[in-house]
Amino acid sequence: MSQQAPHPQPAADFGEDVPRLLNRLQVAAVALCVLFGVLAALFQVLSWQANGRAADNTEQVVRVQEIQTSLLRADAIATTAFLVGGLEPPEARAAYDAAVDDVLRLITDAADAQPADRQVLADLNVEVRTYTTAVAQARDYNRQNLVIGIAYLNSAGDALRSDALPIVQALVDANSERAVDEMDGQSPILLLIVGVLAVGGLVLVNREISRRFHRRVNVGVVGAAAGIGLLTLVIAVHAGTRSSANADTRDGAYDTAVSEASARTAANDAKAQESQGLINRGSGAEYEELFAVAAETVEQNASPATLRLWRDYVVEHQEVRDLDDRGNWDDAVALATSSDAGDPTAALDAVDAAAEQVVSDAADQAADSFGSGGVVALALAVLTLLGGLVAAAAATWGINQRRREYS
Amino acid sequence: MKRPSPSGRLARRRRAWVAPVLALLLVLAACGYDETTVPSPQAATVDAGGGNDGPTCTNDGTQVRSYAPEGDVLSGDAVARIRKRGRLVAGVAADTFLLGSRDPSDGQIKGFDIDMATAIADRIFAPATGKLELRVITAAERIPLLQDGTIDIVARNMTVNCDRWEQIAFSAIYYDAGQKVLVGRDSGIRDIADLADKRICAPAGTTSIQNIQTIQPQAIPVTAGDNSACMVLFQNGEADGVSTDDTVLAGLAAQDPYAVVLDTPFLTDEPYGIGVNADDVDLVQLINVVLEEMRADGRWQDSYDRWLRPSLQVPGKQPKPQYGR
Repeated sequence: MSQQAPHPQPAADFGEDVPRLLNRLQVAAVALCVLFGVLAALFQVLSWQANGRAADNTEQVVRVQEIQTSLLRADAIATTAFLVGGLEPPEARAAYDAAVDDVLRLITDAADAQPADRQVLADLNVEVRTYTTAVAQARDYNRQNLVIGIAYLNSAGDALRSDALPIVQALVDANSERAVDEMDGQSPILLLIVGVLAVGGLVLVNREISRRFHRRVNVGVVGAAAGIGLLTLVIAVHAGTRSSANADTRDGAYDTAVSEASARTAANDAKAQESQGLINRGSGAEYEELFAVAAETVEQNASPATLRLWRDYVVEHQEVRDLDDRGNWDDAVALATSSDAGDPTAALDAVDAAAEQVVSDAADQAADSFGSGGVVALALAVLTLLGGLVAAAAATWGINQRRREYS
Repeated sequence: MKRPSPSGRLARRRRAWVAPVLALLLVLAACGYDETTVPSPQAATVDAGGGNDGPTCTNDGTQVRSYAPEGDVLSGDAVARIRKRGRLVAGVAADTFLLGSRDPSDGQIKGFDIDMATAIADRIFAPATGKLELRVITAAERIPLLQDGTIDIVARNMTVNCDRWEQIAFSAIYYDAGQKVLVGRDSGIRDIADLADKRICAPAGTTSIQNIQTIQPQAIPVTAGDNSACMVLFQNGEADGVSTDDTVLAGLAAQDPYAVVLDTPFLTDEPYGIGVNADDVDLVQLINVVLEEMRADGRWQDSYDRWLRPSLQVPGKQPKPQYGR
């Protein structure tokens, strides 16, 4: 449709350099559109990366909690086997070795996964070696029927809890903080602000043009503003949805994985305290206090299914304590070290296996949730960038129309 | 020179925006985390010795006096109570090799102190089979458990002193122990003077470390949770010696062929007695009878020769009883 080109009508200042002004407005409009496209795409890419890192950090949290659990499981097995006497049951030895192997493998995996953890993991490696050396010395003395072995076992357990576990806890805390921070990496508000600023800027550009021409609306500029507005709405809603999904995962699968892992660690710690209470004869009450602390952690963190198994174990544990407290130490040891179904060791193994499965399932679910939707997020980022460029082109076209009319 | 067109300038300006934004994107994407750090543990407070507030009485030699046996020692209230219950409950150690420790081969608690408890139960029940309950207790539990009646006697290398006499009663002295020092066999340490600048370990909260510092001020005190933990430090090269009762040191040395107990006079005297509730005077009298019977029939000597002599390498002699309390 042909339009009759109106003559330019400078609004107030007849000496105003309109072409120059149009150039400036064009630069401003294009800059706004491009800036929107780049910034909004950047924020979306960063959010997508944050979600990826949330997934990675979740896996690292679970990995270091697995180190914690395996260390205490090794200690529980070592202390329980110690009770049997100098001749350690081969299956207990194999289980201890497997737990220590798990720890060493997980330390290597964790160091590969997170460079920021490497130095601390190297320190942990040293502490684990110190612990295993002390356990080996304790085992050697026990095999020679020398009671100094108990001191080595105590020394190993004390060092584990005072030197190694604080390092693992620091790793758990640091990676949990990283994971949670990354979960908050979605930025719908920021996208809205960028979009609103871009649209507002384009509206101002349109107003400046309309003040100098008879047209209230510059189709190119207003079209760019409308496109950016629509795009802003779409990407902000998407980011909001992702943010909400992240919050659900954090409060759901992620929380389940972390809590269950804490419960599993505490359950193994409790079993180690049960054995220590029997090894250090006469100190049952002292170790029972430590058992109670671990038990409280299990009660507060375990999933319902694991909690039922845990309470089965606690009944068995109480029987061990009752026997020991009545002076029937031999029977208490026999019960504590029995591998028969329903006895304390088997009951604790059931707790451990159930918790391990819950942790594994929940961690996979959390990591999958954080890592999902990547294609959509990247496609939207590309679309946003292209949208910004198209809007810039539209604004350029719209202002060029006025420039042609003026010339 | 040709001036750039407006659209050319615009394109350059657009590129000028893109470069820093892309750089920002790269910087943010490559951003790593701060290195993980481990919070420093709160400084542990080390009790270098002392422990108790100190005696409120003076050990003037009368603390070793016990109750003289008189009359039928089996007719007293305390002994009758034990006979009625059907077992004697003795508080013992299970981690002090040669005095009271669990034999890992059969799980039984054995040692010099255990022989004393067995002899007492034998006298009450004749024989004691199945009627002696060995209750493993910590050092800190000895007096409270006697006072509340949980246990009847303590046979756990317990030093008799006037402060404890104010809380419980004791039998006559059944062994004269004393503080000595264990060192490495080839360490070059031959007497107390050689302990200067050496790290000597004793359990935290005991007077042993103070005694060493009094006798050899240049010794470097090291503390651990108990005597066995000191031995671990010694074997790991973190202490040059361990100082405590010679009987305990004998048990530690018996587990390490590279350790010897220095042949020195006692740094302090640690007379051992069987601890009893302060009200059970008749039980104390019975125990004193048992100790004299063990002297007469050689059971004390047999027990000493079996448990302590191989490590202490000196002939033991049962102390003469002192009565008059």
